[in-house]
Amino acid sequence: MVVDHETPSLENGQTDKEVEENANVLQFMDSMDAYLTLIHSLSSTLRRGWLELASARHSMGASRVNTVLLDHTSHPAATSLLVTQDEGKVDSGKPHFTLCKWESSSNENSLLGEKQSSQDKLHPQLRHRGSTELYEEKTSSDNKASREVDDPVQKERSKSLSMFGTLVSPKLRAAQLSFEAALETLVEIANMRSEMLCAFDQVNMKLEGRKDEK
Amino acid sequence: MYGFEAMTFNIHGGYLEAIVRGHRAGLLTATDYNNLCQCETLDDIKMHLSATEYGPYLQNEPSPLHTTTIVEKCTLKLVDEYKHMLCQATEPLSTFLEYITYGHMIDNVVLIVTGTLHERDVQELLEKCHPLGMFDSIATLAVAQNMRELYRLVLVDTPLAPYFSECITSEDLDDMNIEIMRNTLYKAYLEDFYKFCQKLGGATAEIMSDLLAFEADRRAVNITINSIGTELTRDDRRKLYSNFGLLYPYGHEELAVCEDIDQVRGAMEKYPPYQSIFSKLSYGESQMLDKAFYEEEVKRLCLAFEQQIKGAGDKEPDVDL
Repeated sequence: MVVDHETPSLENGQTDKEVEENANVLQFMDSMDAYLTLIHSLSSTLRRGWLELASARHSMGASRVNTVLLDHTSHPAATSLLVTQDEGKVDSGKPHFTLCKWESSSNENSLLGEKQSSQDKLHPQLRHRGSTELYEEKTSSDNKASREVDDPVQKERSKSLSMFGTLVSPKLRAAQLSFEAALETLVEIANMRSEMLCAFDQVNMKLEGRKDEK
Repeated sequence: MYGFEAMTFNIHGGYLEAIVRGHRAGLLTATDYNNLCQCETLDDIKMHLSATEYGPYLQNEPSPLHTTTIVEKCTLKLVDEYKHMLCQATEPLSTFLEYITYGHMIDNVVLIVTGTLHERDVQELLEKCHPLGMFDSIATLAVAQNMRELYRLVLVDTPLAPYFSECITSEDLDDMNIEIMRNTLYKAYLEDFYKFCQKLGGATAEIMSDLLAFEADRRAVNITINSIGTELTRDDRRKLYSNFGLLYPYGHEELAVCEDIDQVRGAMEKYPPYQSIFSKLSYGESQMLDKAFYEEEVKRLCLAFEQQIKGAGDKEPDVDL
């Protein structure tokens, strides 16, 4: 009689339990890895943005790029943050953050499409453990939507830069894009942290459950 | 032939020329910049600068230092030196030195007007103005609602008054109008400065014509690049270019219709002095253009120091600058 040592001679429930625990641990480690990668990406994006801003200030002059030109008139925010509970898990308590950029210029779907395509463009180093085919189809359909909103978004970008003048250096525009990317990364970090804490809670719960069983 | 002016130059200009050459010798060297690059804190920078001519201006500043403090004190050195020279200068040098400040005046006027439009405190704005561009009644600029009021209330009594003839409208001041005002004023200022130097003749006309023409051309390129993708029309863009310089008039016609950096390159590469500048850049790149123009400007400014020595070269020993 051959004894198969690979498959433990346990009931199926316990085996599934171990598989689930392993999956939780893997998810926690994945989310932590993604979190650290995003932190590193944010740091380099901000550094690039500050250098570009310093170059723009050198190019345009200190009188054209300084803090006294920031607009103190009351005006609607060009970008806002939407905080919702995670869909499908009503009682999980896990918040989800969505950045609504340039919301005065286009509808929500276009914004989400543009946000997703810009996220994908700016963060290729993130590992996606889902289906790559589904991801590619989603990206191509969102790209079409993103092209349609480019012009109004460009207008909003120019409008927000207008406090420094209408004829600004390309370096200032590059700095704006870098800080925009940094803002998107911050929201991703918040979502990733939320996922990481949720995965940690689940792993912790399983460990507590094991202790109780013993 | 302008060589004979060297015989009487020292009567009025000898002292100030010596002062200027002394200031030039006090500029930071490559070694100084290497040391500054090694600094990790602002106090380290202060320590390194204490061994230079900026030392006396920073020595009494308490720690912790702020970057704005260092900039302010180093600018104060320049302003003190300039004011000393202005006090000692006679005509036409005094008018020449005053012309140097008009560019800063224009920047300060635009800063005050823009800041007021954004509801900033006037005192805050005045603190950020360049000291070389300050004039009496500058704070009154905050009251003006349009360019006509700007001119009537404040600028009519300043040296910038003649430059306003092309700007005066009753339209309210907004971001685009202010930008056009800035560039129109600067254009008028450069043209006026150019005519003044041409009238003086001699070495001044020769050197300053080259420097001002380069400045006009650089501004034309910057206006072109900065206006790509904006609402500024081709006609408005063309109106902001100065009416002199190597690019005037045919280069300006080409620049006015450029829609991207490569078209700008195509227009500029027809002029040999600018071909060398653009050859340092790769296609589609615009961010290093400022640096390339800056290096060329510094080269031309250094050459300006050669003129007086060369003019009296028969009797005076060569001075290695």
